[in-house]
Amino acid sequence: MEELEQWKEQLSHFANLALDRLLEVPPNQLYAAAAIVIFTTLLLLSIRLFKRAKSNTVVLAGLSGSGKTVIFYQLRDGSTHQGTVTSMEPNEGTFILHNEKTRKGKIKPVHVVDVPGHSRLRPKLDEYLPQAAGIVFVVDALDFLPNCRAASEYLYDLLTKGSVVRKKIPVLILCNKTDKVTAHTKEFIRKQMEKEIDKLRASRSAISAADIANEFTLGVPGEPFFFTQCSNKVTTADASGLTGEISQLEEFIREHVKQ
Amino acid sequence: MLEQLLIFTRGGLILWTCNHLSNALRGSPIDTLIRSCLLEERSGAASFNYDAPGAAYSLKWTFHNDLGLVFVAVYQRVLHLLYVDDLLAAVKREFSRLYHPQKTAYRDFDEIFQQLQIEAESRSENFKKPNPVPALAPNRKQNGTWQGQGLGQNAGSEKKSDGDGKKGRKLENDNFSVANSNSNANVNHSGGKSSVNNNIGKENESSNVGAFDVNRLQKLKGKKGNGNGKKKDALVVAAAKGEPKKVDKPNRVWDQPAPQTKLDFTDHVDGDGDRSADFLAKEQGESMMDKEEILSSDSEVEDDDDDTGKDNMPVAKKKGWFSSMFQSIAGKANLEKSDLEPALKALKDRLMTKNVAEEIAEKLCESVAASLEGKKLASFTRISSTVHTAMEEALVRILTPRRSIDILRDVHAAKEQRKPYVVVFVGVNGVGKSTNLAKVAYWLLQHNVSVMMAACDTFRSGAVEQLRTHARRLQIPIFEKGYEKDPAIVAKEAIQEAVRNGSDVVLVDTAGRMQDNEPLMRALSKLVYLNNPDLILFVGEALVGNDAVDQLSKFNQKLADLSTSPTPRLIDGILLTKFDTIDDKVGAALSMVYVSGAPVMFVGCGQSYTDLKKLNVKSIAKTLLK
Repeated sequence: MEELEQWKEQLSHFANLALDRLLEVPPNQLYAAAAIVIFTTLLLLSIRLFKRAKSNTVVLAGLSGSGKTVIFYQLRDGSTHQGTVTSMEPNEGTFILHNEKTRKGKIKPVHVVDVPGHSRLRPKLDEYLPQAAGIVFVVDALDFLPNCRAASEYLYDLLTKGSVVRKKIPVLILCNKTDKVTAHTKEFIRKQMEKEIDKLRASRSAISAADIANEFTLGVPGEPFFFTQCSNKVTTADASGLTGEISQLEEFIREHVKQ
Repeated sequence: MLEQLLIFTRGGLILWTCNHLSNALRGSPIDTLIRSCLLEERSGAASFNYDAPGAAYSLKWTFHNDLGLVFVAVYQRVLHLLYVDDLLAAVKREFSRLYHPQKTAYRDFDEIFQQLQIEAESRSENFKKPNPVPALAPNRKQNGTWQGQGLGQNAGSEKKSDGDGKKGRKLENDNFSVANSNSNANVNHSGGKSSVNNNIGKENESSNVGAFDVNRLQKLKGKKGNGNGKKKDALVVAAAKGEPKKVDKPNRVWDQPAPQTKLDFTDHVDGDGDRSADFLAKEQGESMMDKEEILSSDSEVEDDDDDTGKDNMPVAKKKGWFSSMFQSIAGKANLEKSDLEPALKALKDRLMTKNVAEEIAEKLCESVAASLEGKKLASFTRISSTVHTAMEEALVRILTPRRSIDILRDVHAAKEQRKPYVVVFVGVNGVGKSTNLAKVAYWLLQHNVSVMMAACDTFRSGAVEQLRTHARRLQIPIFEKGYEKDPAIVAKEAIQEAVRNGSDVVLVDTAGRMQDNEPLMRALSKLVYLNNPDLILFVGEALVGNDAVDQLSKFNQKLADLSTSPTPRLIDGILLTKFDTIDDKVGAALSMVYVSGAPVMFVGCGQSYTDLKKLNVKSIAKTLLK
């Protein structure tokens, strides 16, 4: 106990000393110091906010086999190399788009993530969504009808995720494989998916609240669903990963990842 | 033959395929392998079978986890190629040297691969010896292989071996010219002779060899000028038998350079006498040397292993507080199986205490080990935590449903087609089929779906009455025909009735049956075949331990085996009951999902109608590893 008392005494002594020292310092300097501290913290905070606002991540999502990995390599290298197989891990890369490599001047590289479409790997998507500046939902236009429901479900989950809705991340529905003659048009695909999502809306919202997953509901209740009702911008585009016809996708990326 | 060999990244980019094989594969075996095997945490298995119309492939694979590469070999299943594992290991070793993350084309690997393939093939043939196949062709092949091997290994010291080659040839010539110091030459030739003899067996009168023999003998005769051929031959053989041990030493020095003399070994068969002697000499070297070469290469590999082992061993052995601390800060170079084992063992035990079937726990651990082996350990992490996160990921992946489990959506789809949606509940006795059927009915009713029950348990006393009571309480129609009727017929009539009265969903209750009860399983199979339900729900209790595997696999198997249709229906989903009674021993969910590949669609967790939940995958994974 005595020791403790001693310690206390010493401590108060030091405190007094420090206070005296402080009083010796002219107030001007004190104000300056305080100002500097406040300024730096504000600066750091603003930098963080600033950075988040200027994310350069583009996420490629879609069902397995829709051609995400091919598009990823088309964006990066302008070639499909020797073909691809089902991905087991996300492909990630920060690079200057292939078609812009020849352009002069300072070009901001884009961070592209290709998330595997296999349903078991979908939880990985959540890791990348918070930082996404844009989402590209790749759809197989050739083999669309058999996969329509699965694709719509995936898109529905995507569009109702809190991280997507809150930040109003723009979504591009990219109809891949349009080089083939029998491929569906993007208008047809958009309409079919709207229809499917409309049905999904009914069944999903019915599932008891405890089941979770979808924090937000889509569209206006009582009206047929259109993508225009989404709080985030949903557009459609054509592409062909195999032949490298991805100009619309590149436009989308450049629109949302600013130079 | 090997059909195809692919090297690709885990991201899915093909880095290299075997061009010269270039057989178009039927179907898409690789994608199927990835989707249904590698991503299902079954990568610990040895091989994967793929059936496509007109083809039956076997696939083998290996990972390079550090570089994130996958190597897959495809071959016809009927062939039972023994060397595939060997070849994959060799390809992995060689390719990982070439690999660079930025590089996407590896055409320079073609040659290396061809060499590796020939090597592997010859080695497997060596294992098969003695075999009665026509001797010369394989021999030549082996010869070539050996050359290739020599080349591969001596690539660095080409100069030196070249020198040796000259020396060797000189030596050879000397041997032929200086006939009376014939011991060496004799021994050499006898060596060759013996190898040929071995290969052909007794009937070495085969014309080819005979010709060579004569050639050589004549030569020897000319040089020595005594004795007749036959006798000489016998003598030579005797000599070979007499001192086979002595043979290989001089051989090795003598013959090592031979490969340098000719790389293209395919066309030099029909040479002249000297050539044939040369060839024979080579051959003589080959039979022994090949073996020795393998041995030595093996021992080299072992040496390498030892070396790396030595590097690691002290660390592993001492493993004091400091070194482990240092390791955790610096990060370990590459994880090895031995490093992972203790952590995996602990994890397996933990899984088993959570009621995961032993078999499943074992397989999972193997799969996790396969995915981690060779990976770099990040700094500031321990092995156990790395294993832990890998396992958690694996668990989440397994439990995440593959197919949509949105039954309501399916019901609406069926409604559009003006068909009732038929759900059949199957399971062993006393797991709560009827109770949970009632809960599902209640849940469906809440979502404005008209439900009808079909009492197809015509076996157990009181089953129909039990269901009728539920139906009355929920105020839904029930279709019943009393006892001792064929359940398949009852179900069929129930569905017809549902079409008539416009019910959206028919819930079919079946009798509980043990998975080994053949007659009852046959009846179930008939019910499924006749009515072609939209959903077959397996009802299993969460209390079950090791038996879960047996139940589900037998149910699935019986449904497949006893079905008369060419495309048998299997279990589509699982309803896990009595979930409230097990506290944290949630392993049954994992066992069942792993075995069947079907998702857990509902979880029954209480006695009242409202106690029906969905499985929370993340919390289950967490609980399992707690």
